[in-house]
Amino acid sequence: MPDAVQFIQSLVNGVGVGLIYGLVGIGFCVIYNASGIVNFAQGVFVMLGGMACEVLLRKFHLPLPIAFLIAVPFVALVGLLMEVLVVRPMWNRGSPLFAIILATLATQIMIERITILTVDEQPHTFQEFTLGGPLKIGAIAIPYQLFWIVGCGALMVGLLWLFFTRTRAGRALRACSQNREAAALLGIPVGAMLLLSFALSAALGAVAGILVTPMQAIAFNSGTPFGVSGFIAAIIGGFGNAAGALAGGILLGVLQAVAIVLLGAGFKNVAALTALLFVLFLFPSGLFAGLKPKAH
Amino acid sequence: MTGTPLIELVDLAAAYGQVQALKPTSLTVAEGEFVTVLGPNGAGKSTMLRAAMRLTPASGRVRFRGRDITRLSTHGRAREGIILVQEGRGLFGQMSVRENLILGAYTIAAGESVEARLEEVFRLFPRLKERFGQTASSLSGGEQQMLAIGRALMAKPKLLMLDEPSLGLAPRVAAEILDTLGTLNRDGLGILLVEQKAPQALRLAKRVYVLSLGGIVAELAASEVGSHHDLSRFYLH
Ligand SMILES: Nc1ncnc2c1ncn2[C@@H]1O[C@H](COP(=O)(O)OP(=O)(O)O)[C@@H](O)[C@H]1O
Ligand SMILES: [Mg+2]
Repeated sequence: MPDAVQFIQSLVNGVGVGLIYGLVGIGFCVIYNASGIVNFAQGVFVMLGGMACEVLLRKFHLPLPIAFLIAVPFVALVGLLMEVLVVRPMWNRGSPLFAIILATLATQIMIERITILTVDEQPHTFQEFTLGGPLKIGAIAIPYQLFWIVGCGALMVGLLWLFFTRTRAGRALRACSQNREAAALLGIPVGAMLLLSFALSAALGAVAGILVTPMQAIAFNSGTPFGVSGFIAAIIGGFGNAAGALAGGILLGVLQAVAIVLLGAGFKNVAALTALLFVLFLFPSGLFAGLKPKAH
Repeated sequence: MTGTPLIELVDLAAAYGQVQALKPTSLTVAEGEFVTVLGPNGAGKSTMLRAAMRLTPASGRVRFRGRDITRLSTHGRAREGIILVQEGRGLFGQMSVRENLILGAYTIAAGESVEARLEEVFRLFPRLKERFGQTASSLSGGEQQMLAIGRALMAKPKLLMLDEPSLGLAPRVAAEILDTLGTLNRDGLGILLVEQKAPQALRLAKRVYVLSLGGIVAELAASEVGSHHDLSRFYLH
C-alpha cells in the first residue's frame, strides 16, 4: 500500500499537470465556441511552445523571459496560419465540420514532421524557471515549477476572463459563440473572430507547453497526449465551458496521479479514459452543466 | 419619391435547393420612409430580409444610398448602417441586457458615445434599464423584443429592418413596440417592417408591399389598403 506521503505527493503533482490539461482544454473551448470546430491540433501548440522555447534557450542562449516572449507569439502565428491556410478555405467552401476537424488532425501530423526536420526526434527539456527546489514540507516535495504552473495558470485564466468579459473583441467572440448570425448582423466580423480564436488558443497552448517542459520533457510527438488529455478535460467540463475545462483538467490530472500510485503507471490512461466514459454516460453535457455561466 | 433611395433591392432572388423561396423581387425604401411588407406565413418575407443582409445566398443586386453593396459581407452591410432585427430576435440569451446592448454598439466608437446611446435606448424602453443586469433569456417576450430593437438602435442605424417583431406578443405589447417604431420614424429613421397581419403596421407605413408565394403581388400607398377589398380582408383583421 502506498503511504500517505506518497499519496499527497501524487495529488500535488496531479494538480500541476492537471492545470496544464485545463489550459489545453480551454484552448479547445475557445475555438469550438467561435466556430463549432474541434481543433485536434490543439496539443501540437503545447509541443511547439515547449520546443520553440527550448531551441531559443539552447541554440540562441536567450534568457527565459525573452524566449517566452518570442515563443508564444510564434506559436500564435502558427495558429493564425493554420486558420488562414487550412481552416478558412474549407470553411468558406462550406465543407462539413467533420472534414475541417480531420484537416486539423492532418495539420498536426504535418507540424510534427516539420519539427523532426527542423529540430530532431529527441525529447527536450530545460531548467525550472526558479532553481533550487523542491520546497520540502515534511516529506512532501513541491517542485518550484509547480508554483509557476499554478501562478501562470491562474494569471492566464484571470486574463482570459478579463478579455472575454471586459473587452470589445472578447465580448464579440462570446457573441459569435452564442449566435454567429446575430453577431454578423451587428457588424462583428465573424471570420476575423475565428482567426482571433485560433491565435488565442495557440498562444494558450504555447504557454502551457513552456510551463510543463521543465517537468516533463517534450518531443515532436508530445502534443498528442496533451491534446487528448485537454480534450478529455474539456468534455468533463462540458465542451465549450472554459471554467469547466479548467476544473476538468485538474480533476483529470489528480485522477491520473492517484491511479498511478494506487494501481501502477500503466493505469494512467485507463483512468483517464474511464473518467471520460463515465462522464459521457452519466453527464453527457459535462459535470458542470447545471452551473450555468453567470452573465456579466 | 425624390432623391436616391435609402435601400434598393433589385431583382433579389433566393432558393433553398429546388425551392424558389424568393422570386426576383425589387423594393425600395426612401430616406426616412416607413415601408411595410405584408405576407402570409411562408411567403418569403424572412428570405427577402436575409438575402438583403447576405445571410442567405441570393442573386440580384442591393444598393444602399446609391452605392452597390451586393458584394459586401453581412457585417459590412451592418457597418454601413443597415441593421436587421431577426425573426426570433437573435439575442445572446446567456448574456445580460447590458452586454447585448453594448454589443449592439460594436460598429460605433467606444467610450462616451456608447453611454449616450444607452441613455437614448433607455428613454425609449425604460423597462430595459430595470432589467439591465438580467440575462436576455430571462426576459419576457415583449422585453426581449424591446431588447432586440434597443440593441439594433445602439448601432445608430440608417435603416432598421424588422422581421415580424410582433410575433408571439400580446396585442397590447405589440402595439407599444410598433408605437416606438413610429416615434423612431418621425425622428427620421428609415424603417422596413415585415409582418403577417398588422393593422397598426399599416397605419405607420407610407407604402406597403404585399408578398405572396415568393413574389411581390402588390405595391400601394398605405392609405389605399383599407379600400382594397381583398387586402383589407387578409391583413387588417
Ligand atoms: N432553411 C430553409 N430551407 C428550406 N426551405 C426554407 C428554408 N427557409 C425557408 N424555407 C422555405 O422558403 C419559403 C419562404 O420562407 P420564409 O422566407 O421563411 O417565409 P416567411 O418569412 O414569409 O414566413 C417557405 O416555403 C419555406 O418553407
Ligand atoms: Mg418569416
